[in-house]
Amino acid sequence: MNADLLTNAVDLIPQVQGYAYPNERTLHPLWSVLIVVYPYVTGLVAGAFIMASLVRVLNVKALEPIYRLALLTALAFMLCATLPLLFHLGHPERCYEIMMTPHFTSPMAMFGFVYAWYLMAVLLLELWFDYRRDFVDWSRTESGLRGLIYRAFTLGVTDLSEPALRLDARMGRIISVVGIPSAFLLHGYVGFIFGSIKANPWWGNVLMPIIFILSAVVSGMALCVFAYLFLCWTRRVTADMRCLDLMTSFLFYALVIDATIEGLDWLHRLYSAEEGIEVLRSLASGKLFYTLLLGQAMMGTLVPLLLLGSLQLARKWVSDLNRRRVYFGCSALILLGVLAMRWNVVIGGQLFSKSMRGFMSYKMEFAGHEGWWLSLALLALPFIILTVLIKYFLALDLPTIENVVPGAVRRPHSSQAAEGRAG
Amino acid sequence: MKRFLSMPPQITRLVLLTIAIICAYFTARYLLTPQSFGQYGHYRGAALQEIAGREPFWAGRKTCDTCHGEIVQKLAKAEHKGLSCETCHGPAKAHVDNPEVKLPKPGYGQCVRCHEASPSRPAWIHQVTPAKHYTGQVCTECHVPHQPNEVP
Repeated sequence: MNADLLTNAVDLIPQVQGYAYPNERTLHPLWSVLIVVYPYVTGLVAGAFIMASLVRVLNVKALEPIYRLALLTALAFMLCATLPLLFHLGHPERCYEIMMTPHFTSPMAMFGFVYAWYLMAVLLLELWFDYRRDFVDWSRTESGLRGLIYRAFTLGVTDLSEPALRLDARMGRIISVVGIPSAFLLHGYVGFIFGSIKANPWWGNVLMPIIFILSAVVSGMALCVFAYLFLCWTRRVTADMRCLDLMTSFLFYALVIDATIEGLDWLHRLYSAEEGIEVLRSLASGKLFYTLLLGQAMMGTLVPLLLLGSLQLARKWVSDLNRRRVYFGCSALILLGVLAMRWNVVIGGQLFSKSMRGFMSYKMEFAGHEGWWLSLALLALPFIILTVLIKYFLALDLPTIENVVPGAVRRPHSSQAAEGRAG
Repeated sequence: MKRFLSMPPQITRLVLLTIAIICAYFTARYLLTPQSFGQYGHYRGAALQEIAGREPFWAGRKTCDTCHGEIVQKLAKAEHKGLSCETCHGPAKAHVDNPEVKLPKPGYGQCVRCHEASPSRPAWIHQVTPAKHYTGQVCTECHVPHQPNEVP
């Protein structure tokens, strides 16, 4: 260390010692609500994909009606997953540099590749193998721009022979198997980033990636239930109750595991009572009371657990309509609960630091480039994309398997779908 | 090649598409990676010259001492001894180069930066709630920044 540096450090240390921790410098969290939205969206992608994988990997036939919906949901959210990060960055136009000059020891830089792998090698490939037969059929029946697009999607492969279709199914299954760890990697990475921050008593925890993955699975499954019921409602058709009951059973068990692990995490924190516990306790009863105890623990976990758990036992005594109402309400509550969980981790974790000297405050902007208006728009955008995807790629597969007319060409238009249903 | 062509058509198309994407990536990487990247480390080597070529605008306390020694010595004995002159007075290089260029007078904004009450500040820093303490926003009416214990 040279003399000048030492002299400067001696000048500087009295100013920073015990005071200027990096996240206290501005007295406001640096990671805004957009960083809350970002892990929420990637979690929904991973969870929706896991729901789709149940059909392929575990061969759960009853879930067939939502297979494509789950994959398209994952795709719609995946296309928007990086947007909150881009808006949060000061220079979004430089985002490609993370791929051009990759830094292999930076988990944040590696995310670019994880994202690309998941989008290109998992989601799009699985969708392509699943839709290939339909693309060929549609490219033959459709004309104009739409026909051109379908022809482009076939990649010039028009072989619909029995061995070719068997190969499609086999490839789809292999990709699903690869896709499950990839989905865990996609979202586990977010938990890994938070869990690696040793200076933060809330984040620096080995359970963090697991908690993130489990909450992602729960939120993604809840999203599939929500989207399925909403779609059935908009199309004025009755949902397939066998599929719905099974989906919500999986959702319930995933929620049980998630709630157990998160409860264990809190129990362990309270029992080991490390230096940060008082800060966490006062956060839970103060600044995060509404989002942590009321939003995440009560409305997002306990109420759905009780309702879904009761239906597991008393399903046959509850009418289909009431079950659908409960499922819809529970899925919406779980979705909000997981959003509250992301808020608690991202914003709550930044309200204090290792100094334990007190709290910072976070006031969300309204219309700024990191405000709640933009966050709302970024949360709404995947639903808009999903609507377009459903319109073009999901006509006859909902809501029941029986709706698919055997041997008929499955056309992408909803009007023809209605004809198919009528027939 | 024969073996490749005998593979199912959907596989050969995907392999070709993958090769095309990888080629596009490496072409983009070749074209978009800055020339001096990696020269010294994982950054643009030319960035060093660009940063070094910038006009400095901080002068440093030692430079202030050459003309304002009396005030610097006074400051060295008081609670604010750890602060650099430019913490409150702002970048002073322009003033050093040309004494005719006056620095803006520090005021209320500089004081509350450290003395406004905040739970995240250590207790040894004197803190006040400005709205209750004094709403006039002219701290120097009662405090001397270079010697906080002194009454003006």
